[in-house]
Amino acid sequence: MSEVIVITSGKGGVGKTTTAANIGTGLAMLGKKVVVVDTDIGLRNLDVVLGLENRIVYNLVDVIDGSCRLRQALIRDKRHPELFLLPSAQTKDKTAVSPEQMIKLTEDLREEFDYVLLDCPAGIEQGFKNAIAGADKALVVTTPEVSAIRDADRIIGLLEANEIRDIHLIINRLRPDMIARGDMMSVEDVVEILAVDLIGTILDDEQIVVATNQGEPMSGKNSQAEEEYRNICRRLIGEEVPFQDIRQRKGVLGRIGKMFRK
Amino acid sequence: MKSLLRNKTRSAGYARERMKLLLTSERIECSPQMMKMLQNDLIHTVKKYIMIKEDQVTINMSQEPPVLHADIPVLKKKE
Repeated sequence: MSEVIVITSGKGGVGKTTTAANIGTGLAMLGKKVVVVDTDIGLRNLDVVLGLENRIVYNLVDVIDGSCRLRQALIRDKRHPELFLLPSAQTKDKTAVSPEQMIKLTEDLREEFDYVLLDCPAGIEQGFKNAIAGADKALVVTTPEVSAIRDADRIIGLLEANEIRDIHLIINRLRPDMIARGDMMSVEDVVEILAVDLIGTILDDEQIVVATNQGEPMSGKNSQAEEEYRNICRRLIGEEVPFQDIRQRKGVLGRIGKMFRK
Repeated sequence: MKSLLRNKTRSAGYARERMKLLLTSERIECSPQMMKMLQNDLIHTVKKYIMIKEDQVTINMSQEPPVLHADIPVLKKKE
């Protein structure tokens, strides 16, 4: 029973693509057959985060307009043989794809994969409408900032209006130190404001930047953010994984790390 | 210790209250100004029939399900 999940946020730069890459990789590491689809036509990005930018021959628009077969456009990941990327087109016009065509594409991908992850473009225009058209479930990514939260609320409203009711929230770039001194909204604050089900809380973690630089998501050593991405993946496949208190998570390991750095 | 206390600016609490107000009004497509006007109209209407504590009237919206709550303290009749 395969699942089509759209990763969306409204606001740009909150970590949609990073989340798609990490969750895609994480699900593949759990033994699932996964395809991540970059639906941001004109602004291709997921390929570089996954380190697959040099292997692209065909793209999503080529598949949709029939220039190639679906299998020709799928790129197998370097490290995880069960993970595939369907890259976006870089040059084509954004209106080249319609929601109906996206539904057809996701139905075709469903036949081959356990999980189809759609990396949605920022904004609420055509690209967003295309990305959500074939989705069963949505992961809304936000950061604990007013601008991201406001956009997330708009997006949740639009998802519900489009009959997507299986909506889960990921709060990204949390800073326990700022929350502790009252200068950043807490996980509880954001969940209360947005009133949707929480599926993951990701700390602001340098390791994510390092892994992205290398084009190797989920490769960090002792990365708290990657640990939490793993937890999100386990929750997605139906495991009960308790949420840790982010104040504690910083705790002992973080302090020992700090001591050594000094 | 003093500097620690001084650093407690608590901007997060301010952000949270702003977001709650803004998103409530955006969800029902009613701006904060319109909510204020609604509050004034409510006071005006109720005042025609009963004595109320005008300055203590509050209205707000609950989220799920969306319900408008008006809290209108009534003045006791003077004997």
